Amino acid sequence: MRVLFYGRLSDTIGRELQIEAPGGCSIEQLRERLIAAHPEAEQPLRSRRTRACVGDELVHDTYILRAADTVEFLPPVSGG
Amino acid sequence: MSIVACVVEQRLDPQRELGELVGLAAGDGAVVSFVGICRPQSIAGGAVHELVLEHHPVLTIRSLEEIAIKAAERFDVSHVRVSHRCGEVAAGEPIVFAGAASGHRRAAFEAANYLMDRLRTEAVFWKHETGAAGSAWIEPTETDYADRDRWG
Repeated sequence: MRVLFYGRLSDTIGRELQIEAPGGCSIEQLRERLIAAHPEAEQPLRSRRTRACVGDELVHDTYILRAADTVEFLPPVSGG
Repeated sequence: MSIVACVVEQRLDPQRELGELVGLAAGDGAVVSFVGICRPQSIAGGAVHELVLEHHPVLTIRSLEEIAIKAAERFDVSHVRVSHRCGEVAAGEPIVFAGAASGHRRAAFEAANYLMDRLRTEAVFWKHETGAAGSAWIEPTETDYADRDRWG
């Protein structure tokens, strides 16, 4: 599964990870796996303001992933 | 009615943006615009050399369009324009232009205010500030979120 990171998450984890994740895993479970592997990113990964995105659509933490999905994690955004 | 939202990769020209809006608003009575500029100082007071605005290839323009459309629906305005920089912005350079035209001033003021409150917390950008004290990611403050929430 391809996982992309933006903003401060890309500093701590990197822009992109390829991880072995079976289909049927939820976004919430993926967050926990990422926190276990990258504890330095726990705060932004746990933040309710860090949104997950699949197929250019924001998804809830209950969203069930397929093995071929690309997941993007978006820390808090700010324009202006 | 016109709604314009765009992500600008090169230097933003506020005068040109305002000129376009005023040109469209010939039949209206008011144009209100806001220009956000990259501050030369961080919140902590250190010198800022540059701001980098990271963006998403799809979600960023979609967020600008959605905010501009909602402003046009919510207020009695005839034209809405949002142009937002991405990439490297030097201190002192413009970051964003947000403007609205309407028959009377009140709606244009409110629409511009609404645009900026939503852009601060919902426009899909990630700001990275580089200055004398190093570099830091800049995220919305609780005040920014409260400003956004007052619109419901």
